[in-house]
Amino acid sequence: MIQSVGRAARILKALGSESARLGVTELAERLGLAKATVYGLLRTLEAHQLVEQDLETGKYRLGPALLQLGNAFLDNNELRARSLLWAETLAGRAREAVHVGVLYGPNVLLVHHVFRPDNSLQILQVGASIPWHACALGKAMVAYLDADAQAELLAGPLPRLTGRTQTGRDALEAELAVVVARGVAVEDQEAIVGEAGIAAALFDNRGAVVGAIGLAGPVERLLRDGPSPEIEAAVKEAARGLSRELGAGRPALPGAGA
Amino acid sequence: MAAAVAVPLAGCLPGPRRKAARIVDAACVRSWLGVVATRLEAERDFLTQLDAAIGDADHGVNMHRGFTAVMARVGAMEEATPGQLLKTAGRTFVSTVGGAAGPLYGTAFLQAGEALGDAASFGPRLLLDALRASLEGVQRVGAAAVGDKTMVDALSPALGAFELELRMGGSLETATSGAREAAAEGMRATVPLQARKGRASYLGPRSVGHQDPGATSTALMFAALEQAVVADRSQRFAAGARRRGSGT
Repeated sequence: MIQSVGRAARILKALGSESARLGVTELAERLGLAKATVYGLLRTLEAHQLVEQDLETGKYRLGPALLQLGNAFLDNNELRARSLLWAETLAGRAREAVHVGVLYGPNVLLVHHVFRPDNSLQILQVGASIPWHACALGKAMVAYLDADAQAELLAGPLPRLTGRTQTGRDALEAELAVVVARGVAVEDQEAIVGEAGIAAALFDNRGAVVGAIGLAGPVERLLRDGPSPEIEAAVKEAARGLSRELGAGRPALPGAGA
Repeated sequence: MAAAVAVPLAGCLPGPRRKAARIVDAACVRSWLGVVATRLEAERDFLTQLDAAIGDADHGVNMHRGFTAVMARVGAMEEATPGQLLKTAGRTFVSTVGGAAGPLYGTAFLQAGEALGDAASFGPRLLLDALRASLEGVQRVGAAAVGDKTMVDALSPALGAFELELRMGGSLETATSGAREAAAEGMRATVPLQARKGRASYLGPRSVGHQDPGATSTALMFAALEQAVVADRSQRFAAGARRRGSGT
């Protein structure tokens, strides 16, 4: 490990973890480093526009180059690029917001978000990280993981996010079996009170799960009488179409016949 | 909009003057709901702005819409006990407000209404029970504890302050005043917290540095409660003075 690269990464993470800007002294204290060291690192990062200094206060914040890097990460995410059209179509059909996510440790990282097409004020959720067991996207993906990976996630911490979050290992395991049988995962206010989700897994050419696509929205609309057959079919269809584009062959696609 | 929130503060029944603990009746509950509605209208954009930073930018609009509906529904009820008013408010909230606010505040009002039972009026003891029932309901639905950066961060300390004030021999007025202060303090204390519940928790450490919108609307309700109780007291006083003055 290169020590200075590690230190620079810690500076970026410290600046990224707060909305407040941080001065050299604060950063040095927080990271347990000498002020001169931190200053040198900041100057180098600044030269690459990875951090920038506020002229009035002299404090540092993250720089514009990080936005480009973040976008590059998303653009290089083949899943996101290929999901654009399918996500847009699904949102239009269901009249609800669409989320596309990948599994990142025990969390679902949202890589794409299409707003509910009703012109209401909405906030982009790309980059949000949601515990897998509390959302439809996560359950849809984990249902198709191999037994070892699944067991590891089921054994991991399963935080309770609302009164309805499923935190029992056995209950979750049973639910994953239902997801496979049904072809979609459903979430009823398990991550946020009042919000629901319906999602289906995405597969690549080896039949491995690479992500999930689904609807997210107010529970009273999405699950009025459970998910409507049309909505469920629309989610499955988007997932199947997107999986085929990602190279999943029809025979290798689990649940394709469902 | 203005018509829906223009609740007359007058109409509180003159209560017995010598009672140590002051009481809350249906008229006072109506005036509390009215003050909340007025304040929510004034703070709608501020709440939405707070929510835009760490949520989905709908808290102000949702709360305002909900309370407008509550005022319309409650205003149409002629004879109602405080419990019935609060239960109606709760049901209206659940059915008209989306997002987390609908089920959470809806449950809070419903539980408070249940706790008050059929009482035509109530003192601070029963109000404490009602607040406790609200907190329990909110925690059952939202699973949030103090420190999670939610409305519980305002509600729980408000309840604690209310109870403490009563134990130290305080009145309804000083207890609601203590609750208002504690709720506001709890609200401000959400700023440095990292959210562990709700959409804000998706942001991880980026939720630090922002005031929680739910704790803010809860603090607003306690401020409104104090205002309604104080207005009620001065109304009663004025009514008493008028009676004496006119010799009736």
